[in-house]
Amino acid sequence: MLWLEGIGCRRHGVTVLDGVTLGVGSGEIVVIEGSPASGKSTLLEVAATARVPERGAVWFAGRNTASLQRASLPFVRRNIGYYTAEALLIDDDSALANVMAALAVRGESLQAAESGALDALALVRAQELASRQVASLSSGQKRLVALARALAGPPPLVVADEPAAFVDDEARAVVVSALARVRDLGAAVLAATADTALADVLVAAGGRRIHLEQGRVAGAPAVELVPALHPPQDERETGPSRLLAGERDDGDRSVPAPAAKGPR
Amino acid sequence: MNAAWIARNVRRQVSAHPRMVAATGAAFCFLALVAGGARLGTRAVERWGAFAGQNIHVIVYLAEDVDAQGALGLRDILRRSPAVARVALVEPAQALARLRASAQGFSSDGNALDGLEPAYFPRSLEVSLAPAADLTSRARELATRLREVPGVAEVDAMTSGLARLAVWVRLGRTVGLAILIALGFVALLALVAVFLRGHDAMARRAAVLDQLGETPAVIRLPAGLWSATAALVGGGLGALILASAWRPLLDRLEQSLGIASTLPLAPLAPAEIAAGLAIIALAGLAMGYFATPLPRAADHA
Repeated sequence: MLWLEGIGCRRHGVTVLDGVTLGVGSGEIVVIEGSPASGKSTLLEVAATARVPERGAVWFAGRNTASLQRASLPFVRRNIGYYTAEALLIDDDSALANVMAALAVRGESLQAAESGALDALALVRAQELASRQVASLSSGQKRLVALARALAGPPPLVVADEPAAFVDDEARAVVVSALARVRDLGAAVLAATADTALADVLVAAGGRRIHLEQGRVAGAPAVELVPALHPPQDERETGPSRLLAGERDDGDRSVPAPAAKGPR
Repeated sequence: MNAAWIARNVRRQVSAHPRMVAATGAAFCFLALVAGGARLGTRAVERWGAFAGQNIHVIVYLAEDVDAQGALGLRDILRRSPAVARVALVEPAQALARLRASAQGFSSDGNALDGLEPAYFPRSLEVSLAPAADLTSRARELATRLREVPGVAEVDAMTSGLARLAVWVRLGRTVGLAILIALGFVALLALVAVFLRGHDAMARRAAVLDQLGETPAVIRLPAGLWSATAALVGGGLGALILASAWRPLLDRLEQSLGIASTLPLAPLAPAEIAAGLAIIALAGLAMGYFATPLPRAADHA
């Protein structure tokens, strides 16, 4: 579903990512583990198409996003559930409306969006927050609502930055279970955390761990880490999605949107 | 995002920021009042100009040897001139009566003019010119010609009065224009202040929708729609206020100034109101649309 190839990024003149290559297939959880400032958040920004890398390519569902016009990026982005610990929400809307927005953007009807949003809130056990105004929620509750929004659908790809930061053990278990659930529904999940315990739990739930150190994948080269996902040279024109588990090989190279109506 | 969701977003933004919406409507109402008032004000000035045109511009004092018959003959000749709108013959007795009437307004001594007799006053012709922009020069030109007519003793072109009137009209227009520009600027400042106040909330909403993959046009559309609606309602209210209050206000002003123009005062035509409201709605749409800040794309450096 997602293939990051040789990603390089700089921030204020400092190299944050240096040739990171990794892939995430549908129905798979990949955990990026690393110390703070190791480049995890930047890598996830790139994966969520919120940041354009200086070097490298981002393949999403068989399409190199660098080849797309900037105006086309929203149509890619709406297929990605992106969660950040910052929990960017619309304060003067209800929790339900915030989660519904993710589905409405994908072209769902109001009824379908409401139903899907309630399911997503239930997935993170936050259904009782549905009618609450976001401004009235605690920071932990806001994070749950933001996570529910990222998981609503679910989208083909979930990108979660510190999904269990600042939450108690009970909420952490809920987060892990929710990520595993959307993985089981076929979504590709890319999570990043500095919390080794959380990474262990996610790996125990069937996730694959990648360690990031100073902007590089630690240990063996990325190609060796995920050999089954790396597209051979002759496949790169059409992208790696043909090699990903669970992807159909029907020749359709447009951005698939199982949970979305796609570009209108 | 479909139309139902956009409509829902418009409603939510209106209910979340009622003061911002009301302030937008009020600012556009004010703009409508300023623009409509300027339009109607221009017509009022034209009307007052026409009133000035109805007044006397040239007084022709006839020689003592011109009798009533001769005076009437001269009046008829003058009436045939295309530049002349009206000519009235004022007999000596009439002139004395006028003098006494006007003196009563300035002096408490009612006997001050008792010694005057009609014979002291010459016959005269009061000439009103047809309304024109260059009344002063036309009056001066007519006076020059009349001075050469036999039987005419003196001609007062009253150009100093007309020149003063022209100066006052020009000054009034300049001051009026300056006031209108200032008021329009105040309305625009009010609008900018309204949108600056709501900037953070709008920016956050836009950032969220951008992260979710909404296109810039659809991110901006709801704010444009509620802003256009508020502008339309505000503009409509302004038009309603002008339609109901302008005429009585102008009547009172003209009454207090002693202006009784025969030129009818045209109100704002339905087509003018419709065009004005369309412009206001478009301005509101553009204001809300472009005031919605889009998140900057993450830089590469």
